Amino acid sequence: MECAKRTNEVEHYGPGVAHLAISAIGSDRPGIVAAVSGVLVRLGCNLEDTSMSLLRGHFAMMLVVSGPDDLAAELLEQDLSAATADLGLLVAVRAIDDEVPAGPPGELWTVSVYGADQPGIVHRVTTLLAEEGANIADLTTRVIGDPARPVYAMILDVTVPPGVDGGELVARLSTLAGELGVECSAHRSEADIL
Amino acid sequence: MTVRPVLRLPEPVLKEVAQPVGPVDDDARRLAEDLVDTMRASPACVGLAAPQIGVARRAFAMDVTGHRKARSCHGLLVLFDPEVLLAHGPVVAREGCMSVPELTGDVARASLLVVRGTAPDCTDRVLQVDAFEARAVLHEIDHLDGLLFLDRVVSADGVFPRKVYR
Repeated sequence: MECAKRTNEVEHYGPGVAHLAISAIGSDRPGIVAAVSGVLVRLGCNLEDTSMSLLRGHFAMMLVVSGPDDLAAELLEQDLSAATADLGLLVAVRAIDDEVPAGPPGELWTVSVYGADQPGIVHRVTTLLAEEGANIADLTTRVIGDPARPVYAMILDVTVPPGVDGGELVARLSTLAGELGVECSAHRSEADIL
Repeated sequence: MTVRPVLRLPEPVLKEVAQPVGPVDDDARRLAEDLVDTMRASPACVGLAAPQIGVARRAFAMDVTGHRKARSCHGLLVLFDPEVLLAHGPVVAREGCMSVPELTGDVARASLLVVRGTAPDCTDRVLQVDAFEARAVLHEIDHLDGLLFLDRVVSADGVFPRKVYR
C-alpha cells in the first residue's frame, strides 16, 4: 500500500522531486506531529525517513521529506513556523542532496555505556570509535535515576569496518570505560534473518 | 527443483490469514519442495513460510542447523497446519525477514514451545523446540496469520535499518 501511494504522489509531482531535511523541537504536547505533517501534506511533501523522540520534555523531530523541487527550503521553514506558532516549535529546513550514500561496510555492534554522570563520556567514547573508523548509525543517551545521583546511559549502534577486530575494539572501549568509571558492554547486533 | 521468488511488502498475500493445508496431497508435497528449494537458495535464510512464495496455505520450511543461537535443532523441518500447544518464557531479540529486507526489529518471543503439525509424509509431529528454533517457528507461524515482525516490534525505537552484506 505504501509503495502504491508513494508512486502516485511522485507521479503527481512530475519529474521534479527534491529532498529537504527538517528539524523541529518544542515543549511536548499532543498535536505536534499532526500540525507539522499537515503543512507537509498541504505542500505536497512526502515524509520519508524520520526520527522523532521525546527528549526531557521536549519533542524533537528530524525528518527527510521529498517534495516538489520548486519548494524552497526557506518558504517551507516559514510555513512550518507560522503553522506551529502556537506550539512554540523551533523549526529549521534545508535542502539536501537527493543521492542516498551507501553506508560504510562492516559489522554491526551495539554498545552500551552507563554509569555516574560526568562531562566527556560521549566525547571520549565517540572519539575512540572515530579513531577506529567505526561509524555511528544510531546513538541515544538518557540521564536516569535519582537526580541527586544521576546515571548517564548511552546506547550506540556502530558499524565496525572490515579489518578492525570488533573484540579488540570492545576491549579498548572497556579500558576507556574503566578510566571513566562507567560500565561498558557490547555485542554483535546482526539480526537473525528468518 | 523450483526456486520461487520471495515476495516482499506490500504484496497483499503477506497480510492474509493463510488457509489450512488439510490432507496432504501432491500439491502440498510440491509446496513443501518449493519452500525447501527456495529457502536453500538463500544461504542466510533459516525459514520460509508459504505466503512468502505467494501461496496462502498454512505451511513452512525451516532448518536452524549450525546456527550459533540454536539449542534444539530438528534439522530440516516442513510442517503443515502447525499449531502452538505451549509457549513459555518471552525473550527479546533482533530479527529480520526476507519479505522486509530493509529493516530489522526487536521482537519478544517465547523461548520454549511445543508445536504440532503434519509433515509432508503425512506423519503427525509434536516437537519441543527452544531458543532460536522456537523464535524461527513463531516467526514462520506469524506469516501464516498475516503477521510480520513489524507487527510485533517491542517499541518504536526497536526498528533498525538492516545492513545488507554482499
